[in-house]
Amino acid sequence: MKRISLFTICFAIFIACWVFLRFVVGGVISVPIPSSVISMYMGLVLIAILVHVSVEDTRFREFLRPIHETLVGENRRVRRIVLAVLIPLLMLGYTYSNLAQKANPPGDPRDAHPSPPLELTYKDEVIGSMQDVENPYRHYEKDDPEKFKSHVENGRRVYYQNCFYCHGDHLDGKGHFADALNPLPANFQDPGIIPNFQESFFFWRISKGGPGLPASGTPWNSAMPIWEDHLTKEEIWDVILFLSDYTGYPYRTFGEGH
Amino acid sequence: MRSKNVVYLILILGLLSVYNLIFAQDAPEVSEKGKEVYEESCAHCHGTEGRGDGSAAENLLPQPRDFTRGLYKIRSTESGQLPTDQDLFDIITEGMPGSSMPGWETSLKADERWEVVAYIKTFYDGFKESETPPRQISLEGKIPYSEESIEIGKGLYTQFACFECHGQVGRGDGTSAPTLQDEWGFQSWPANLAQGWNFRGGNDIDDIYKRFIGGIAGSAMPMFEDPAFGLTIEQSIRYNELDNKVEMTEAEEEEYNQLDEKMGNAFEILDLMAEGSADEEQKQSYATAMKAFYEKSWHLANYVKSLSSEKRPEPAIGKNVLRSQYTEDDLPQIMDAAWDTLDSSYFPLVGQIIIEPRQFNPTIDSVNAKSFYNDTEVAFLFTWDDRTNNTEVKENEDTGKTFEDAIAIQFPVKIPKSPTAEKPYFLWGGRKAVYLWEWKASAADKITELTAKGINNAEEQEIQGDLQVEGKYTDGQYNLWIKRALKTDDKKDLQLEPGVFVPIAFSAWDGANGDVGTKRVISSWYSFVLEPVPSSRRFIYPPLVALLSFGLLVGLREFVRQRNT
Repeated sequence: MKRISLFTICFAIFIACWVFLRFVVGGVISVPIPSSVISMYMGLVLIAILVHVSVEDTRFREFLRPIHETLVGENRRVRRIVLAVLIPLLMLGYTYSNLAQKANPPGDPRDAHPSPPLELTYKDEVIGSMQDVENPYRHYEKDDPEKFKSHVENGRRVYYQNCFYCHGDHLDGKGHFADALNPLPANFQDPGIIPNFQESFFFWRISKGGPGLPASGTPWNSAMPIWEDHLTKEEIWDVILFLSDYTGYPYRTFGEGH
Repeated sequence: MRSKNVVYLILILGLLSVYNLIFAQDAPEVSEKGKEVYEESCAHCHGTEGRGDGSAAENLLPQPRDFTRGLYKIRSTESGQLPTDQDLFDIITEGMPGSSMPGWETSLKADERWEVVAYIKTFYDGFKESETPPRQISLEGKIPYSEESIEIGKGLYTQFACFECHGQVGRGDGTSAPTLQDEWGFQSWPANLAQGWNFRGGNDIDDIYKRFIGGIAGSAMPMFEDPAFGLTIEQSIRYNELDNKVEMTEAEEEEYNQLDEKMGNAFEILDLMAEGSADEEQKQSYATAMKAFYEKSWHLANYVKSLSSEKRPEPAIGKNVLRSQYTEDDLPQIMDAAWDTLDSSYFPLVGQIIIEPRQFNPTIDSVNAKSFYNDTEVAFLFTWDDRTNNTEVKENEDTGKTFEDAIAIQFPVKIPKSPTAEKPYFLWGGRKAVYLWEWKASAADKITELTAKGINNAEEQEIQGDLQVEGKYTDGQYNLWIKRALKTDDKKDLQLEPGVFVPIAFSAWDGANGDVGTKRVISSWYSFVLEPVPSSRRFIYPPLVALLSFGLLVGLREFVRQRNT
């Protein structure tokens, strides 16, 4: 039986990697991966293969042998002709499809974690520094659970009277108005949202809305209203309590040492 | 020995009957758990007492269901019957499209949903009192979906007078549409049959059929009454034909009278059946009449199904692009067939809930757009469904105060130079200004150019008249045609160039829904582009590349050969 050449093995590994990224990772396991990311990974795979075959002279020669044979070998005429037709044809198709493609609109890059101002304000009133302000009703969680509960309940009322149209009944950002918005409303069930921010950050985003975003965050697309125009300070703090109570995620806090 | 056997037998029978008592119902007994889940997940809309008066209810239309009256819209049971437990479970699981009721499949476990079913049944005593299970609608005799069936259904749509509420082509624009109220006195818009994805109980043919036979309890949708009850489909069609004739021959008149009599008899039997005093023969003819009625309903269901696409067009966030197609000819007029050659771009619209007064219950679902351009001009066709044609501000006893229908198309004054450059605030601009075309139904051939720096800060431009416009309202749908030169002399206008992506956004007003000023439906920014004519480079470069790669291959071969020698 003929031994499978090193070139064929490398070629098969290369193709297998692509299939794995394109269909297994970006299909079976998760959502499709952007093609630019796939090309990046494939570049790494190619480098790895080249490094592997070129560490030893003999191995490199063995790797090159089939290419060499195909190019000049007496008994590889048919293969040579087939490749000489096929490769230019593929290049032709590839260039054509690239040129004929419709241009896509520019993307909407944006800052997912816009940096907040240093001072937390409600309307024009300064509440304190962004980093130090805590939810004034949070301490009831330990001190007076009944009172805490009534604040959460008030937060629930505020949420379902104002927020659920976009952020959804399940707080998953899939409200019945979400469809038409870009960027999509925040999904509070996403473990990357609530635990990553302090309550003061939420207060800032709620009270100032889309128009309050910093210039660096390519703003003016968020449909988040300026809620300080509609809600009292207490209502905003209460709805913040409700978000974490409903989803079970705690907000980010800085420990004693801070 | 024998007595022992009898004791065992009695014991087993006893256990069986206890078992039966426990598991006789679909849903488990009401537990604290059901109450708990209800209060955590349902009460904010449906109220703690189940009256549909939770804190969020005020701003919702359709209103959350009031469970205390036992009226359920979406049932698999006959008219006047309570829903089955499975019906309630399905609604909780799948939600109600077109309303604010979401599906709970992912956020409540199946047993939690069953507990909620049991709990909401406690709000209405009728569930406890009813001894027999509700009569289910039989799906027997289903007529397959076909062109012929749709055609028959179309005829029945007229005969059953569906158009009175749902409009001639089904867009929910019938003459009585604005006056309809539900059992609780809230506005009850008839379904737009062209938007099947908003049907509360789903848009399968079976679902549609069930709504006919069972009625939509509490809404203005009646249980069906067949105006030609007792007639077969052929006879119904013939009857309708004769009815519409200006003059009938003697033979036709006789035929007509016969059919009329047959109907009269059938209705009499219907009354006897209701009294319970029909004899065997009458029961027989009732059954025949009902069979014909069910057949008609299947045809009608097939017709309704045919009016809408299966799914709401996918609202690809930020990716929906209005691409204007290049043509060398003159641009088409409003009703030109050339428009049919283009696919339309779909832009979903939602209520404006950012600035007071707000619109929480929008009635306009979306706007569709198409565009052509040539070397000097660009033409647009905007299409959107609106159940009523409101051309003025009116105070009406039945429908309250209504306003004018309108639409505004929005572009930035300056096109952002890069993807990261700031666009104007999507809601009629802010620090950066937007350029608007505002059209109102009161003046269908006029369009106003505005510049705005905020939703309450719009100004009419000094120079008007750059745009040509024509608006038409037919069968519950607006068509708005706009034409403009690519370049204008007015510096405040947007100047257009092929290949440049221009942000575009919409605002629309349904006067019958109280839309005026900031109360409206809106979209966020999408893109518009004059699609460049595909360049001829695509015929030059690819062969060059192919030739080059061939050359490289030959070169490589030569190189290797040289080295070998």
